[in-house]
Amino acid sequence: MKDLISLDSLTDIVSNSVGILIIFAVINLIHDNNKTYQLEIPLEHATDLRPVFFIAKNDRILLMDTDKLFRNAALQATSGAAGGKRIFALDYFGLFGQIDKEKGVSFFAKDTSEWPEFHELDKRQSNLRKALNGIDPKKQFAYFFVYDNSDDGATAGSGFEAFRKAREYLKGHLVKTGWQPVNSDAPANICDESFSPRCVYLPSYLGGGVNK
Amino acid sequence: MAMSRATKAKRYALDQKLEVSLFPFLSIFLCVMGVLSFINVLSSFSAPQKIELTAQLEQGYKVAYQIFNLPDGIISLPPVKHLDQLKAAVDDADKETIADIKRRREWAINKLKRHSGSIMNAATEPDVDDIVEVLHDIRVINEIALKSNYLYEEFLLFGIYPNGGQAYQKIRDIMSFTQDARTISVGLEPLDSNWTLNLKKGESK
Repeated sequence: MKDLISLDSLTDIVSNSVGILIIFAVINLIHDNNKTYQLEIPLEHATDLRPVFFIAKNDRILLMDTDKLFRNAALQATSGAAGGKRIFALDYFGLFGQIDKEKGVSFFAKDTSEWPEFHELDKRQSNLRKALNGIDPKKQFAYFFVYDNSDDGATAGSGFEAFRKAREYLKGHLVKTGWQPVNSDAPANICDESFSPRCVYLPSYLGGGVNK
Repeated sequence: MAMSRATKAKRYALDQKLEVSLFPFLSIFLCVMGVLSFINVLSSFSAPQKIELTAQLEQGYKVAYQIFNLPDGIISLPPVKHLDQLKAAVDDADKETIADIKRRREWAINKLKRHSGSIMNAATEPDVDDIVEVLHDIRVINEIALKSNYLYEEFLLFGIYPNGGQAYQKIRDIMSFTQDARTISVGLEPLDSNWTLNLKKGESK
């Protein structure tokens, strides 16, 4: 009689594994299709809190030091460099500005290489964390100008991920957040409501997960 | 010792059984297992998650009039689910107004449903007159609900897709010069391009 190795048990194990994998794949598929996310419904609301402005672009976030920015813009305006809606350098992390009677000062983010990446929020001693921690939830809220362009075929706008991450972080610190999408055609602008009814910056998301 | 015919036949049958090769069978199984494992690993790591957004969105008594902003324009998704209940709670004059608004909204939804191909390709340029009408309808409905002491309020919820900011800014420009928009609450949420709209979701709830 030929002395053949019995493959019965091996076949059994392999076929069982295939069966388990098929079941796992089907369950995975069904589970993924039925997953329901309850998004927080944002609602803009009036507030006495003052906005602290940020720009989110290319997965980076920049705190806008408005005192410095407006000082630099005023210097450019007095030197004549800002006349005729000319775009001028603001000497602030690659930001360029433009002065318009209706829009106030518009900000163009051309070079973002010096801006902190949003992943730095995971690091304890990062400058980005310090900037966000500096917001006093009793007096201030965070307002983000978020770039919505996705030129490289990405599924999200270039600032969306950074904004979501910062929003989540600030929510944990009871800080309210608001935002608006911006791009090179409709840049971020800061102005007073007396200029235009569009010059309003309101928080949409409650800090601390009150409206889950 | 001579073997009986029956024992010989049994031995022959056993020998035949042992000679069956299981290797082709095993190799097919191993291939299937490998392919399945590969697909599983690939789908869980590299494939972008597909998320479907519901047609009806509400939070308590606040109901969203959703406007999805895409690079090619907007998709408006008006709420109709609670309008019949609201109609039942108001006086006759307002019943007609609500019925008229509901009819127009259902027509808009049906037009979206009839769209062939992906719903995300149904975006149209925001028309000033349409936006003004939408704002007016929301204001009228909210005022009727308030007058009838019926707990119902509609608000505008903008879903901003990548490169969809242009359409959003256009609508906000219209809103800033329209009296009707003053009393309407607004919300906005960034959406990824793989978050698609499902008109059937949330309908039956």
